[in-house]
Order: sequence, then C-alpha cells, then structure tokens
Amino acid sequence: MSKKNKAETLNIITNQVDTLNIIKGEDTWEPVGPTPLPQLPDLRNWSMRLLKTYKPFYAPFCDLCCNCTYGKCDLTSGKKGACGIDIATHQARWVLMQCCMGLACHGAHGRHLIDHLIEKYGEDYKIDLGMQVDVEAPIIRTVMGLKPETLGDLRTAVEYVERGLIHLVSSTHTGQEGNNLDFENKALHAGMLDHVALELTDIAQIVGYGYPTSIADTPLVELGWGAIDKTKPVVLAIGHNAASVNSMIDYLRDNDLEDKVEVCGICCTAHDVARYSDKAKIVGHLGKQLFFIRCGIADVVMTDEQCVRPDVPEEARKAGAALIATSDKISYGLEDVTEKEIDEIVRLVSEEKRQVLILNPEKAGAVAAKVAVVLAPNRKKGFIDTEAAIELAKDCIACDLCSQACPNMLSIGKAIKQFAANDIAMLSETFKRCFTCGKCEQKCPQSIPIVKIMQAVATKERYNVRSGRGPIHDVEIRQVGSPIVLGTIPGIVAFVGCSNYPKGDEEVADMMDEFARRKYIVCASGCAAMAAGMVKDKEGKTIWEKFPPGFEAGGVLNVGSCVANSHIVGAAIKVANIFAKLPGRANYECIADYIINRVGACGVAWGAYSQKALAIGTGCNRWGIPVVLGPHSAKYRRLYLSRKEEDDWNIMDGRTEKMTEEYVEPAPEHLAIVIESKERAMVSIAKYCIRRNDTPVGRQIKLNHYIALHKKYIGEGLPDDLHLFIRKPTDVPMFFKREVMEYLKEIDWKPRQQVGLPTLINTYPTKANIADIK
Amino acid sequence: MEFKIAIGPQFEGERIRKDDLFIEFGGPKVKAKAELATIKKMDEVEHGKIEIIGPDIKDLAEGGSYPLGLIVEVAGTELDPDMEPVFERRIHQYCNYIEGFVHMAQRNDIWLRISKDAVKQGLTSLDEIGKVLIYLYTSELPIIERVAVTFITDAQKVENFLPSALDVYKARDERVRGLTEEAVDEFYGCTLCQSFAPTHVCIVTPERVSLCGAISWFDGRAASKIDPYGPQFVVEKGELLDTEKIVYSGVNEVVAERSMGTNDTFCLHSLFDHPHTSCGCFESIAFYIPEVDGIGILPRDFEGASVIGIPFSTMAGELSGGKQVEGYVGMGVEYLRSPKFLQGDGGLRRVVWMPKKVKERVKDSIPPEIFDKIATEEDVNDVDALAEFLARVEHPVMAGEFS
Amino acid sequence: MKPYWDVNILTGTKTARIIEDPVQFAGLIKKATRPLYILGPDTVDRKIGDKLFLKYCLDLAKAGNLPICATAHVQKKMEEFGVQPNSSYDIIEIVNHLKDPEWQGVNKEGNHDLIVFSGVRCDLAERGLATLKHFAPHLKTMALCRFSHPNADFALPVIRKDEKWQEYFASLIANLIGDR
Repeated sequence: MSKKNKAETLNIITNQVDTLNIIKGEDTWEPVGPTPLPQLPDLRNWSMRLLKTYKPFYAPFCDLCCNCTYGKCDLTSGKKGACGIDIATHQARWVLMQCCMGLACHGAHGRHLIDHLIEKYGEDYKIDLGMQVDVEAPIIRTVMGLKPETLGDLRTAVEYVERGLIHLVSSTHTGQEGNNLDFENKALHAGMLDHVALELTDIAQIVGYGYPTSIADTPLVELGWGAIDKTKPVVLAIGHNAASVNSMIDYLRDNDLEDKVEVCGICCTAHDVARYSDKAKIVGHLGKQLFFIRCGIADVVMTDEQCVRPDVPEEARKAGAALIATSDKISYGLEDVTEKEIDEIVRLVSEEKRQVLILNPEKAGAVAAKVAVVLAPNRKKGFIDTEAAIELAKDCIACDLCSQACPNMLSIGKAIKQFAANDIAMLSETFKRCFTCGKCEQKCPQSIPIVKIMQAVATKERYNVRSGRGPIHDVEIRQVGSPIVLGTIPGIVAFVGCSNYPKGDEEVADMMDEFARRKYIVCASGCAAMAAGMVKDKEGKTIWEKFPPGFEAGGVLNVGSCVANSHIVGAAIKVANIFAKLPGRANYECIADYIINRVGACGVAWGAYSQKALAIGTGCNRWGIPVVLGPHSAKYRRLYLSRKEEDDWNIMDGRTEKMTEEYVEPAPEHLAIVIESKERAMVSIAKYCIRRNDTPVGRQIKLNHYIALHKKYIGEGLPDDLHLFIRKPTDVPMFFKREVMEYLKEIDWKPRQQVGLPTLINTYPTKANIADIK
Repeated sequence: MEFKIAIGPQFEGERIRKDDLFIEFGGPKVKAKAELATIKKMDEVEHGKIEIIGPDIKDLAEGGSYPLGLIVEVAGTELDPDMEPVFERRIHQYCNYIEGFVHMAQRNDIWLRISKDAVKQGLTSLDEIGKVLIYLYTSELPIIERVAVTFITDAQKVENFLPSALDVYKARDERVRGLTEEAVDEFYGCTLCQSFAPTHVCIVTPERVSLCGAISWFDGRAASKIDPYGPQFVVEKGELLDTEKIVYSGVNEVVAERSMGTNDTFCLHSLFDHPHTSCGCFESIAFYIPEVDGIGILPRDFEGASVIGIPFSTMAGELSGGKQVEGYVGMGVEYLRSPKFLQGDGGLRRVVWMPKKVKERVKDSIPPEIFDKIATEEDVNDVDALAEFLARVEHPVMAGEFS
Repeated sequence: MKPYWDVNILTGTKTARIIEDPVQFAGLIKKATRPLYILGPDTVDRKIGDKLFLKYCLDLAKAGNLPICATAHVQKKMEEFGVQPNSSYDIIEIVNHLKDPEWQGVNKEGNHDLIVFSGVRCDLAERGLATLKHFAPHLKTMALCRFSHPNADFALPVIRKDEKWQEYFASLIANLIGDR
C-alpha cells in the first residue's frame, strides 16, 4: 500500500472508529474500499442504476391502504390516500415492510445464537471454517469491510444490521418516504443487510456447534415422515433456530440416549440438527407441519422460531403430544417456566399436560428428551388406514367449498368424492400439491377431517437429502472460477426458498435434475433441498445420490438451512474476490458489478412464501443475481423487470472507459421475475445465466442449452429473442449452427463487437473505482 | 439438427458403467485400433461420404470389444499440415458430445464405448456417428470445407491400416520435438483470460505451452487461422533483445498493446526479471524459495500446503490477476519438459521441490543426475528440512551454482 | 360477485362488470380495434368435457381473428395443432409490455386496446389483471375464465357446469365469426 493510500485508509478507519467503533485499525488484510459500513445514501446510486434497467413492476394484492387511522383509502385509478401516497409508492412501501420483517427474522435469529454462544464460549472464541475456507465471510467483508475473527466480531456485524433496520422501518411510517424508487433502494438495502445477517448466523452456528465445513461430501440424512421410527420416543422440532434441539442432542449423548430417542425436524431447524447429529432425521418441508403433527407420531413438539404455525399448541394438544416453546418470538401465551427445576417442568408437562415456554436451550433440550421418554409408551400413533379414511370421506356432499378455499386452487372436493368411491389416485396427486394448511376443513359443512384423510394416500417411503455442507471452498472457487467467468460452465443455479409450490415437490427435483445433467452447478438449501429429495428416479435414487456433492460442473449441493443461502451468494463474491482478485473489502459496487456482468448465477425460489424469502431474493438482486420465482410469488407485489428490446442497454467498456455504441445483450434480462410453469422457468433460467462477459465458447454453450431447452419445452423453432444474444458468428452453438445462421440471415442480423470489459461502474455517479475491476 | 441421437456439451464427461455397456471399440482388450485425421487436397475428399469397412454396430454381439480404425479426411483451401493433430483431437471432443457414446485416449490407444440406451435411441450404425462428426467439423470449423469419415471394423484391415498411422504419429512427434523458438517466425498470443485478468497476455511458443496447459504452439497456429478475430492471434516475434532471459521485441510490443500499457517487457523464460504475467487458471506455479535459492513447482491439484507452508489457493492469490510478480510465474505442467524451461534462472537444475505426481509425469525430461536431488512432499515438509535434504543430496543450488 | 377461488376475493372498490351473455361478450371483442388473446397453461392442463380447453380457445381466436400471445409452455401444444402464436412471452412479461401505452404490440401495429385472458393460472391472472387495472388505463381487460376475475374490466360469472361453459364458448365463437 502506498503511503497516501494508507493515510486515507487510516482516515476512513478512524472515522469509523469514531462513529461506529467497528472496523479495527490494525486490520490491514486489504485496503478499505469506498463504502465501509454502508448506510442508506451510500449505495443509493447503485440501486438507482439497477432500477433504471430493471424497473419495479407492481401487482397490487389489495387496492386499499389500511396503514393508519386516516384510512381505509382506496388507491385505485390514480387516487391518492389521505396522507398523499399513491398505489406504486404504497406497494413499494409494503415490499420494504416485508423485507424488514424477513431481515428482522434473520437478524434476531443470529443475535440469539451469538449471544447464546458468547455466553457459552466467550466473545474471543475464534472463527475457523477449516482448511478449505480462508475467506470466511465474503458478504460481511464486502459489505461492511470487516473480517470477522471471533464471535465478538459477529456480534459487531449483527449490531450493524440492527442499526440499519431502525432506519429502514422508520421510513415506512405514514408521512415518511414518498417515492417508490427510494423505497426500492431501501428494500434493496434491507436485502443486503439480510445477507449479512444470514452469513453471520450460519458462521456462528458452524463454529458454535461444529457443523460440517470444508467438506463437500457430507452424509445423507434420512428424509420423509416414512423414515421416522415411531416405535421410539419421538421429538419433533419445528422452526429455524436449532439451539434448543441441539442442546437436546447433547443431553441425549450425555445420557446415552441418542439411539433410543428419535429426533426429527420440520423446516430449517431440521437441516441444522442434521448438521449437528447424524442420527437426526428430517420429516420434510414446512408445508407438512399440520399433516405430521396430526399423525400423532411426535410425542413432543418443540417449537423455536420462524415458519412455525400459530396453531401448533392447539394441534399438538389434539394429537396428544406435549408442546415446548423455546423462543421469545413464539411464546404462544404460555407460562414461562425457565426458572423452574427440570424435573418439576417434566412433571408439569407429562403429568399435568401443561404446555410450557422454556427460554434456556439446555433446559428445553433436557425437558423435551425426558418428557418424550415418559410419554411415548402410552401413546398410540400412526397413520390412519385406508378403510377408515374412506369411511370419513363418505360424508362428503360435494359442495366444493373446500376447493374454493384452497390457496393452491386444488380440486379437493372432487378428489375426496373419488376417494370415497375407492379411487385413490386423484387424492394422492392432490396431496403432493397440498401444503396441509387446513383451510379446506374449516369450510367443510360436514366437518370432514381432510388433512387426516390425506394420511391414507401419503407415501410412506424413506427418502434422503445431503446434509448441509456450509461454505463453498476457496479451492473449489479457484477451480471453477475460470470456467464460470469464461462461461464454459454455463451457470450456477440455486434452488432455494420455501415449499409453496404450484404443482408439488417434483417440480423442484425435475428442474434440478435437468440443470445438473446439463453440467450447471446446482445448489440448494432449506425447504427446496428437502423437496428435491422427496423424489426418486427409476433406479430408486434421489437427486442427492445421483450427482456429486462438489461445487463443480454437474454437482448438486445442499449448503444447509435458509441462513446458509449466504454461502451461495458468498461463492459468487468469492469468484470475484479470490479468483479474479478484485478487492472486496467494503467494495460492494465493484463486486456486484462483477457478478452482474460476469458470474452466470441465477436463483430459483419456486415456492417462496415468506417475508424472509423476499428479503433474501431482494438481497440477491442488489448483488446483480437474477431470481426466478414461482407463480405464488406474484403476491409479493413487486418484481424487477426490463424490456429487452425497448430499454437502453448501453454500458461502459472498462478497457476503454467509453460507453458502448452498439446494442449490448440484455443479460441478465430481469432481476426478479415470476414465471408460470416449470417448463418455461427452465428455458428462462438458462437464458438468465447469460452474462455480457461470456467468451464466444462460453456463449455457445449457454445458448446451446437455451435453444435445446426451448425446443424441448416451448416449441420447435428457435427462441424469438435469440439474435439479441449473438454478438458474432462464433457465439452460435455448433449444434444448431445451420438453423441459427439461416434464421439470422432471414432477420438481417448484423454482427457486433463483444464488449471488452463490460461494467456499470462510471455509468452513474459513484465513488467506486473503475480501476478495481481491471 | 436431425440426428437420431442426442448431442450437446452436457454429455462430455459422461461415464458408461459395465452394466450399461453395449459394445466397445478399442480399449485394453483390443490390439488393432487407431484414429487419424489427415488433410487432403480438395478433389480427394468426397464431402459427406461415410464408409464402414467391416461389421456395423447392429451386426456385433453385445458385450464385445472390437477393433477400430477411424479416419477423418478433411480438405479446405486454407488448411495447413500442422493443423492435423488439432483436428485429430476434435474426434475425441465431438464423439463425447454424443449421448451414450464415450471416447477415451488418442492415436493408437483409443477406447470407444457405446451404451445400451444409445442403441435403443437409434445408435445402431456407425453411420450416425459419422454424420455427427461431419456436421460438427463443418459447422464448428468453417475453415474445413470437405470432410469424409471412414470406420474400419474388420480386424485384418485395421491391422493393415495401423502401420501407416504409426508413421504419421512418428513424423508429427519429430516435428514437434524439433521445433524451437529460433526455428519459427511467429509465436501466438492468447487473451482468453482477459475476461478475469484484463492485463494478462499469454505468449505461446514452440517451447512454452500456455499457462493453462491447453494451448500449444500448434493449437495457437490453428486457432488463429480458424478464427482470425478470436482470442488467439499471431505474434510476430521480432528481434531477440536478450539471449539469456529471452526477450523478443515483437512479444514486448504485443504485450504493451494488449495489456493497455500495464506491462511492456516479458522475459519468456525467467521468473525474476519481468516474468510472464499469470492469469488465474494456470495449471501450476513455479515459485522462488529464497532460503535455499531454488525453485519449487506447485500444481493446482496438490492438496495441502507446499514445502513453504502455503497451499496452492493462497499462493495463487499472490500472483494471479495479470500482474508481473517477481519470484512467481504460472505455467502449464508440460513447460517442465521444455528445453528452455526457466532457462534464464538455471532451468531444471534450479528446481528443488515438486510433488511426486508431477515428478513422475515429467520423469523422462529431468536429467537423471538431478532427478533424485529434487525433493517431494514425501521427503520434506518445510523449508528447514528442505535445506537439510538439499545439502545431503548435494543439490546444485547448494554449491552456489546460481549465486 | 365472489369469484370461485377465495384467494381471488377483491379487496378494493373497482370490480369487473360481469357479462352473463356471450353475445354481449362477443360484441365487446368486436368493438376492439387491436385485441390480444393471452393463453395460459391451464388451456393445456384442463379439459371442458372431453375436449382440451386449448381447442376452444384456438377456435375462438380463429373466429375472432385474434392474435395470440402464448404464455408458459402453451406454444408447444399449439404447434401440435398446427398453430403458431403471434408472440411468446410469459404472463408477467406480456403484462409488463402492455403497461406501456407506446409499446407497439405483438404485431408492431401499436399497443392493444383489449386484452382477453384464458387459462392463465387463476391467482396469477388476478395479479396481472390488477397490474393492468392500476397501471394500464389505456386498455381494457377481459377474463374469459369460468372462475371469474374481479380485477378484470369484464369477467364471466362463475360457471360450474361443463355444459354451460361449452355453450358459452359456442355462442361466443358463433357470434364472432366473420365479423373481423
């Protein structure tokens, strides 16, 4: 570092020390970039630059605003509310509020784990992610400029997130922000902070609980309600924060009970406990909560936080299972018994049938294990048999109110009627697409227990999913960095998010299979990873057994729970930072610019339902990673879309530092889009992996898949926008050369120059240094 | 595309397991096997002709191993004989684009396997493979105007063909071995890696393979002709400015131009003074070890730390990105075989450490008198132990040969 | 009027005019100068009686000489029937284009003035119709869907019986033929 540079760096650092006391003066791992600890104004120009190309698209879910006591206000036909807000701004505000909810969940989750682990191990406890991972926190490094070395540093990171959240939430108050684009900047900022929260949370649990890291080939975990051994006492954990269920594993280990008690989970806490204990099992994704509780297989239900149904206490009671809530975020109005002795709590729960709140993870874990052992022998559990289920279905009067209530628009009534007549096919298909929300039952005038009937048609097979592997290794990045940036590995496709699928789990498995066979790098996490494992091929193998687990062409990886999504984004950052040596520290715009122009990554959240998923997706968008959403996600109300032929695609050629004059390909075409069917989604995903920086060989390979998938799923001919992505004849995939060249001739296509070093830096006012990208 | 079988880049790297195998051509169980690409005059090649001499796939018993001679004849006004090996390697690439069909090895070692599924899909004749090859040769390489493919499956006829193929291989090898930097006027440059290392220029000479190990001088020559606007281009070597470190005026000019003025001098065979820049996808690293005044070699696939305690990923971080970093240079592993290997620094005699796998790979290029003096990870694990080792074996660096 | 699916219940004030009479529906289509017919994947997944929903839609498009935008993977099935769509966008993309009054439409003759939806997944169609209701005042929307759509300008009543639905289509087609 030159003297001048050092002085400037120190100056920045001192300023930060003065104001936020965050970046330590002795840190010299990389010079501090232009935006350490960015606040709302710092990356606003970057947001606005993205929004210039990818304009917000709003689909109001509700035409009214009911936010304050002025309302209700009708915002239809250009009308403004009493406060002066219009429909677009109100939608943008709504999206921001939702992103803040998601961010708050991840932030609070991380905060809880870090405080808990610091209490256990102290704030100087070292972060070590193993031999293969040197760049431990690419997101925190790039966003904040902080290189976290201890749990205490992670607490610093969560403090930064908390600080930012206050500003974001405040702007949603009536009479605050009044422009939709500024709301979008704030939503993008919330998404970025969310990624910081994801990363610090997963790092905390990896180091605190010793989850796998620096290993690609993690073990296969048993998956499916059919895999749960109901002859043993069964504890079911639901949620995302595995602190309590992991403590229970400790208790079981200490008392030699690990083989005697069946521990299983639903949603991300299941992934995390399976990263902690190789004996833990995963029931399935969050969509099967009600279904599984009602089966009565769980003797104890232990809830932590996020994606847990509010009616778990009622349902657990009906099923005769004990309930232990363990989080201050979900307390269910229960008595807080944290201070009582363990044996006293066990007595209250098992004898007095009390449902309790225990806020100490160790205590909650011990109680859950003890209660399960006491309760199990006297409980009858299992699935209803087909004959009994048919009897129940016979009450159906075919009013069809159940179907109308279905959020996935399934023909439940028809399926129940056919089932009553001994034809189970339609009901089994219906169950595969059902999130077991129970809305149908509430409408049934005959009070038919539809979700219970579903037990008769649910598969009892045992499936599997690879246990979450944590961060992508630095060496893996170095190995695939070049083919990713050259474009010869056609893309990284990440299947993430929740289980609100339009047509069931198979769709995710099918899409992952298609891209893995085409040698994309296929990542998964959370409920999507589970859904993918719930399908077997004709040889009886799940996708997790079929493909290698490395971050490589044709690899299929499970990074872990939702918070482990940070590692997928982290991999994209590491391609820029490790492989291409782009300075990453507090250099958000340059890294994001690198990703949007050169790293062919595309997120797919086919069943996203939660506010958290929205925050994660929006965070990806700020990094320049496009996200494909399933049809339900139109209800998020906002997407980021471009118009490929109408919009201005001019960018900067970083080599000459001049604006391009010829047409530049619309890549990636959208940042957030809903696609209606999986068939079309696959074609689009292939297209969204195209980057302006692709070399001719790379572009050939990407277009080859785009054309081949188009022909397979959309139509005989060529995609009607193909010519936009062909710069020179050398971009034309050899397998379709004749057809494509004829088409290009027909439409009078003209070759154009490939942009030497495509960049958005300096196409807008920025402090980012264009020299960094060279 | 109107083939009965699926083709595409995703089928590269496909494996055919024993249970899925229909038949194989060549491989360890068969003696008579060879493939050859030859350049002919325009009027000697009947474009699109596919000839099968001997039994076809459908005539052969399941589970068997059969002889094969595969001949690809190409013609085109711009073709030059040095391109033959480049075209021959495409047989491997193109065959592997076919689903259920795997091509391994080269020349008279070829091994081709056809899966049962592929036969079910319609791969019942070699004619199908011929069609794919002809399609891909002409569509990917417009410089090729005519192609004809011959498959010989008759054992005796393959035997008859084999000696002529061996003669061609031998002649080519002699040409490669005899080729020196002095004997040619042109080197080739490659800027493919500028997409991630914008100031990097790779210079490929007959005695210096590209850093990634994938582009030889012949490849560069063919590629620059096939696509004159592509990432590989001609470098007029110009005048030899430094005979020890090998600095050419033409190379310097191209480097200055293509690195946008960042670098203006390349010593082609030295890692101390204006070394060649390193991209990010180099196959290995040559690095200086000051404690013993020697050079170590660290390949990408080496797991764990090198003798100086640093793993590949960390060291690669030091030199990648298109910068000139004294004491380090990225290189293709085959460069170790070059007579000019780091000639300016003492060549192979200066090398003190390399992993065993590399040492075995280039064994026949290392002078026997120093072979045992180069330490591997099995001998030493740190610099102190290395110094002791070198003293014990009396490595040239210990005699102060280079100081 | 409540739509069939609870998820599509309107929270707002501006709701569709329900067109009970197919003759009137045909009349509205005929009045349009540049209509566009958007076909979604339910046309491929659902049948009316024994016949594929898509067949009815293609007959209607032919009768009314309506250009077709095939969304999702509808084009594949259309090709089986020997029909090429005038454009292929996914539903969100076509809606995004329609928002812009300056857009030149699928035939490059200017933006459309009437958009007819059939077979788009009902919850998604309702979102697209909401976008157009709020952000595309320059055009009218029509939901030719038996489940009814409050966010369209014109919608059908909920039609439960296949026969009724077939009749509606038949009458609509009969009243469109030859007039455009």
